[in-house]
Amino acid sequence: MSKPVQLFCWHFMAYPYLPADFDEKYDSGWITVPNKLWDREKTKGLLNEYIDQLAYADTLGFDGMVLNEHHQNIYGLMPSPNIIASALTQKTSNGKIVVLANLLPLHGNPLRVAEEYAMLDNMSNGRVIAGFAPGGGQETFNYNTPAAIQREQFWEAVDLIHEAWTREGPFAFEGKHYPLRYVNLWPLPTQKPYPQVWIPGARSRETMRQVAERGYCYFLSSRTHGGAVAGARREFTKILEDAGGRYDPFRMGILMSAYVAETDEQARQESQEGVWYFLKNCLKGHLRNFQGRSMTSGPGIPNMSVSDYRRILENSKPGGAMLGDADDWDALQKAQSIVVGSPETVYRQIMDFIRETQVGNLLIQFHLGNMRDDLARKSMRLFATEVAPRLREESRVAFAGHYPEMADAV
Amino acid sequence: MDTKKRELDVRGRKVALIEAGAGTPLVYLHGFADVHGVVADLLPFHQELAKRCQLFVPAHPGCNGSDDFDQGNKIEDYLFHYCEVFDALGLGRFAIAGHCVGGWIAAEFAVRYPERITHLALIGASGLFVPGEHIGDIFINSQLDRGTSLASLRHMLFASDKAAQALRYYPDGRGDLDEETRRYAMLRFGSAIGFKPPYFYNRPLIDRLYRAAMPSVVVWGADDHMVPVAHGHAYAERLGRTQPLKLVDGAGHAVHLEKPDEVLAQIAPVLAA
Repeated sequence: MSKPVQLFCWHFMAYPYLPADFDEKYDSGWITVPNKLWDREKTKGLLNEYIDQLAYADTLGFDGMVLNEHHQNIYGLMPSPNIIASALTQKTSNGKIVVLANLLPLHGNPLRVAEEYAMLDNMSNGRVIAGFAPGGGQETFNYNTPAAIQREQFWEAVDLIHEAWTREGPFAFEGKHYPLRYVNLWPLPTQKPYPQVWIPGARSRETMRQVAERGYCYFLSSRTHGGAVAGARREFTKILEDAGGRYDPFRMGILMSAYVAETDEQARQESQEGVWYFLKNCLKGHLRNFQGRSMTSGPGIPNMSVSDYRRILENSKPGGAMLGDADDWDALQKAQSIVVGSPETVYRQIMDFIRETQVGNLLIQFHLGNMRDDLARKSMRLFATEVAPRLREESRVAFAGHYPEMADAV
Repeated sequence: MDTKKRELDVRGRKVALIEAGAGTPLVYLHGFADVHGVVADLLPFHQELAKRCQLFVPAHPGCNGSDDFDQGNKIEDYLFHYCEVFDALGLGRFAIAGHCVGGWIAAEFAVRYPERITHLALIGASGLFVPGEHIGDIFINSQLDRGTSLASLRHMLFASDKAAQALRYYPDGRGDLDEETRRYAMLRFGSAIGFKPPYFYNRPLIDRLYRAAMPSVVVWGADDHMVPVAHGHAYAERLGRTQPLKLVDGAGHAVHLEKPDEVLAQIAPVLAA
């Protein structure tokens, strides 16, 4: 029997108390969103509520819990995901703790990231999956990281951390950005030789190549799917093969959102407030083009080479719709990003997606925008009890057909 | 007037160069809304300069066909790049003029090597830290508003976002592919040189300006929305030869594109001195 699809619960920890007229009155949910909107009374206990939802995911049998790092925004209140991960090491006992990711150029010294991941790995008894990312456009502004050298800094930081985990110390690291005389990590991670590393990318072949060469897992960070995921998987497969490796479904991960209720109708009804709050508020300044200003990528974040940028210009039109521009359920359906429905509907859509894409790590966001705690928990429970078992069973068959060499894997 | 474009070889690095005119040498270092920064050719302002001297206009690293310079990311590193460019051109003593970041580099060069600079002209130059007077964020304003609008970028670079030149060089939606590519390359250079230390300044520069005691002139658009006029006053007061700032009314950051004759009227007598 092949290994089944791995199902993770991702929490973004959105700010849920925006005024109803936020979209009319404010340009962005990122960078410049005024923090006078933070309500100190209503937010008492909010982060703990979110942490408890993730701990609940662990008791429901999810394969792991996913956290990420963003700054000065309403989309995700986790500027330091390692602090939340630390709480999860104490509140959970089974699932992986996936930090996707620590944004390395934002750290003065990436050795700190190597140390914190090692601590978390010890505290969780080897359950950490370590994500590294360079940061998006928003972070270049929030943290004043120069886009032009961001990627160069990032890959050097990745290599420093990898060496700190795996080379016998003390040794000197002759980096251009992070030269260190004494690298000698204490404590070392629990997992040998090192925790699994995941690196997000937005289909840049250069990122795929670097991930393939280092033996890491590639996480496609796009929220809009369609045929793009299968396309990215084919590109990554080719790059892995060129590097002498092979693709298997667990070399890649993808983000999606889901809401499960007893019926399709009930699922739409219960989720709609959270879904539209998420699309219109949380994605404003990120994945919305028709209102506000997307700060995720573009000419003002010049982190790619001039020739790569020109290629993008040649192959795109300005002002296209993004996920947050969807204005009805049908448009949303087309983006294949947020799956809403009965257990049967959600099972069918996700299973079709697994068959088509052959991606084995599904990172699923259940809590959307300002969704109520009880609704998020119910959706997670229905998914875990009525959708996940079928996905696991069917995906074993689907993967075994494509990757017979994995048939014996557990 | 004879205008030549060529590629200069600087220790194996390609530098795109435009040369024009004859007489005493003048190096012009470009900004964003400028030759190399958006268009490939000299604009009327530069052509007029070339009627008065031998003009050298190199493109910054990565810009308009110049190779990237990957040996550094501080202003210091780029000054050394320009030392090598000027050596490759065989320039001993020469005049230097610059706009925006080009002006910043010109000022930095002049305070380090005052013996090599005969005259200095700064037009809307960045480079100084003036408390409370922040240089505008060209990066955030280069992100398209509502997916298509560059009005706030045009406002930053010109007196009016509706001015014909502003719309010509920074149109909404997708512009000419070559010009978009040049604009991107200039932002990439700007990010390398001006993002950190933050936002196009070098704190110690202001206290070093006294060393630039050659004849100099500082010209600013009265409606500069990127580098506040206070920076122009600071340059004018702190350079080796204190002087009044030359303000041009009805012009913004790209004052030399908006009012070329008026900028020339201020600069030409100083260069002839």
